[in-house]
Amino acid sequence: MKEKSEVNMKKLSVNVAMFLMCLLFGFLASMQFKTVKVEGGNVSNTASLRAADLQSRLNQEIEKNSALSAQLLEYKDELSLYRENALLAGDASDLLNQQLRRAELLSGLTDVHGPGVIVTMRDSEMDNDSEHGVIDENYFLIHDEDLLRVLNELRDAGAEAMSLNGERILATTEIRCAGATVSVNNNRYSVPYVIQAIGDPENLRAALTMRGGVVDSLANWGIVLTIDNREDITIDAYGGAIQYKYAEPVQPSQ
Amino acid sequence: MVALVGLLAGIMLGLYFPGYIPTSMSVYVAVALLAAIDSLVGALTARLKKNFDTKIFLSGFGVNALLAVGLTFLGNILDINLYIAAVVVFGGRLFQNLAEIRRILLNIRNEK
Repeated sequence: MKEKSEVNMKKLSVNVAMFLMCLLFGFLASMQFKTVKVEGGNVSNTASLRAADLQSRLNQEIEKNSALSAQLLEYKDELSLYRENALLAGDASDLLNQQLRRAELLSGLTDVHGPGVIVTMRDSEMDNDSEHGVIDENYFLIHDEDLLRVLNELRDAGAEAMSLNGERILATTEIRCAGATVSVNNNRYSVPYVIQAIGDPENLRAALTMRGGVVDSLANWGIVLTIDNREDITIDAYGGAIQYKYAEPVQPSQ
Repeated sequence: MVALVGLLAGIMLGLYFPGYIPTSMSVYVAVALLAAIDSLVGALTARLKKNFDTKIFLSGFGVNALLAVGLTFLGNILDINLYIAAVVVFGGRLFQNLAEIRRILLNIRNEK
């Protein structure tokens, strides 16, 4: 009798163990199966896990960036509000305000308008087959050097404010090739390039179109500049924030 | 048998359980499942050979799963696919056990 109950106990424990283990196994297996289906089957590859992780971090940074840009615009609005209040505060600040406006004009932090020219540049549409054989494609494209030359000529001719594709040209503005685009004030732009310059329209035009000047040398490669004189151009202020980490104003000695 | 009932019950439970296994743990669960399959098939072989021991079955299940998870984790830290060792070993034992089961079943037929 005793033996039989022992055998029964053993059989029971065996069955219970098997049942529980199979239950656990089935549960985990179907959960895993569901998870893999949902994740698209990419879970055991640690390399792509890292890519997914980097992607989500990138998305976070992009969101942060746009939030900060929105904040920047808010602060600018606040700032102009304070200025208006300061203007109403009294005549003593009038002189300071004049100085402030002058500084802003020079630094590119305010919209300006006046007579000037609008220069439009497009890549060449010439065919790349001359008598000398096929030449490097690069010669037919507009590079940062070409844009810088045009801006230089305009400055030399007395341009007082300039912008490239809407970006105000400041003392700290870079114009640099970045692949197929150009980086201006850390923003990317591509052809066509539209340069606005405020100054004496005739002087500006003459500086560009002089013999052997920018227009001539670019025309060699079929890059055409169209120059439009205007009575009144509006150039927008610089749209970002300026930060000086190394330069400090020299205090006037007493 | 009891095993099949348990299996089906477990699968149904898992399919209707809300939520998923977090992605970061998915690798470990997969490797632990492999260890589980090996233990179960080993248990089946032991049953057929009449030397099934519950203690060995349960402890084998636990220890193998733990070791497999541990190897995978170590492999992630060292950036070397150590889980391959678990896959090879458990896969190999699967084939061995199935071969024994096949032999036993065929022998039973012969004796009959």
